[in-house]
Amino acid sequence: MGSLLLLGLIVIWDTSRTELPNLKIAVSPNLFPYLIGYFLVILCVILAIQIIRGGTAVPEGLEAGDKIEKSDYKTFAYVLLSFISYLVLITRGGFVVASTVVFVGIAYSFGNRKFVKTLLIGLIFAAVTYFSFTRYLHVDLPAGILKGIL
Amino acid sequence: MDGFVSALSLTNLGFGLLGTFLGTLVGVLPGIGPALAIALLLPITYTVAPSSALIMFAAIYYGAMYGGSTTSILLNTPGESGSVMTALEGNQMARRGRAGAALATAAIGSFIAGSIATAILAFAAPEIANLAIKVGAADYVALMLVAFTTVGSLLGSSQIRGFISLAVGLVLGLVGADLQSGLTRLAFGNVSASEGIETVIVIVSIFALGEALYIASRFKDTGWTIISMKGKALMSREDWRRSWKPWLRGTAIGFPLGIIPAGGSEVPTFLSYSVEKKLSKYPGEFGKGAIEGVAGPEAANNANAAGALVPLLALGLPTSATAAVILVAFQTYQIEAGPMLFATNPDLIWTLIASLFIGNTLLLVMNLPLVRVWVQLLKIPRPYLFAGISCFALLGAYALNGSIFDLQVALAIGVVGFLFRRFGMPITPLILGLILGPNLELQFRRALQISAGDYGTLIATPLSKILYTSLILVLVAPIVIKLVKKSRVKTVK
Repeated sequence: MGSLLLLGLIVIWDTSRTELPNLKIAVSPNLFPYLIGYFLVILCVILAIQIIRGGTAVPEGLEAGDKIEKSDYKTFAYVLLSFISYLVLITRGGFVVASTVVFVGIAYSFGNRKFVKTLLIGLIFAAVTYFSFTRYLHVDLPAGILKGIL
Repeated sequence: MDGFVSALSLTNLGFGLLGTFLGTLVGVLPGIGPALAIALLLPITYTVAPSSALIMFAAIYYGAMYGGSTTSILLNTPGESGSVMTALEGNQMARRGRAGAALATAAIGSFIAGSIATAILAFAAPEIANLAIKVGAADYVALMLVAFTTVGSLLGSSQIRGFISLAVGLVLGLVGADLQSGLTRLAFGNVSASEGIETVIVIVSIFALGEALYIASRFKDTGWTIISMKGKALMSREDWRRSWKPWLRGTAIGFPLGIIPAGGSEVPTFLSYSVEKKLSKYPGEFGKGAIEGVAGPEAANNANAAGALVPLLALGLPTSATAAVILVAFQTYQIEAGPMLFATNPDLIWTLIASLFIGNTLLLVMNLPLVRVWVQLLKIPRPYLFAGISCFALLGAYALNGSIFDLQVALAIGVVGFLFRRFGMPITPLILGLILGPNLELQFRRALQISAGDYGTLIATPLSKILYTSLILVLVAPIVIKLVKKSRVKTVK
């Protein structure tokens, strides 16, 4: 909620500080950002009023009135960490390594505890994807540290 | 007819078959829908011929409808939004040992509705495209505003959240260099950002990564209970007698609502369900497994999907998330969907439409006898399922340009997707805002350039006048109705 308001303000602020190039065009390139920025801010105010009057958000998959359980942020953090590891590993370790790590990481977060089996499945999955994309679809993927083997 | 010849070529048939297979797959598996599946497969647009890729995407689109009904009936977890209504009666039928009949009426109803609707599409789309050539920039502005309003206000639990989702999408669409002036917006000095945010990356990450994060934070342990299916997917004579009218009514409701931007398949399936409930000779059976309640919404769902292709092909205006992703596929091929499409790429269009007929038939053949095979898929453990989806999503985000920046964007959008789900914001408006926002700005400027800056041009044409009037009605009507009801309650008191 607060973050949305911030987003709207950022849009307006960024737009207001850009210097207009001296061009003769009918519509300034700043018009739309301003409109959208103000639109967002106005919506945020309305949403805030709604929330104060009792219209709290209902998470997807639940009905209004259902008890909202507390989010499990530990699992959430595991999944997010797995995603971030991909970011770090993709160029340094290569596609197969990065994908396997993410695969195992997410399977673990979702409650899988059979490490060796998951590792194997992840490795096969990553290798098959790697080959089908590089050989058949001609999409370049980094080989990374496994360059010699692949 | 040439379309059929071309669609039946071995390559295209192969891609069609692959598409129907993948489509059914993503429809069956809860958590991944057709929009995500197509978004993940967008990298193939770099190497595969346009007609083959589009045939495959269309087949996925149709296939997901079939697959979605299977999970609704046997699991009571709709695989995609259009199957929510099917789950109501379909799952009840399955619980009473009538899973076979429910699956059959869903599949045959989908087939009939899909075929009729595709036939209308084949006749209507060129006509609409002919009319649409005369549609000017100002009219496009009006059309897009109507699409925004309906999608924003019809989806999700609250109007305001729909509009916020739309606004966030519009902001994402702003990032990068402005096409006309070259001015960089919202890039904050980042060179990669000044090239704009890739639509594909947003779609892939908001659906796949966002979903993975959300499920992780919430329903980690929830398993699935599959209702076992006895006998074959067949219908008795009585079932046929009770199904054919709902099929036709569902088609009649679904197709027109697909053409106008009514925000996807929720509305038509819901309408069809209520109509069947009202017209049924056995109203007592509703809620306990009435076959009409499966036949109608399923037909409406498929007819709606075909209807949504009309504005997509004829106007270049997507009305659902999946249609929006297909539009992105057109864009990567530098093909402009819209009124000129029928003149510039007639082969492509007719091949695509013919492939819809073929795909629909393939789906019927694949789904009725093979339904058990699909159900087996649900036995894939969820950890592996989400691990696989996430890997594919990250791959899709990276492989597009091979850039780390794209991955960073994907992660950030994934978190946004999580927050949207957590706080009940619908996602489709965001996608539409992202894709149509820049388009809206372009048409808006074009209109004002033609009129030399006179804003009156925006409401000068008859079409735009009609559209703005209906826009105001859509926005104001609910408020007026509320007020009238309130004042009535008061006078009664």
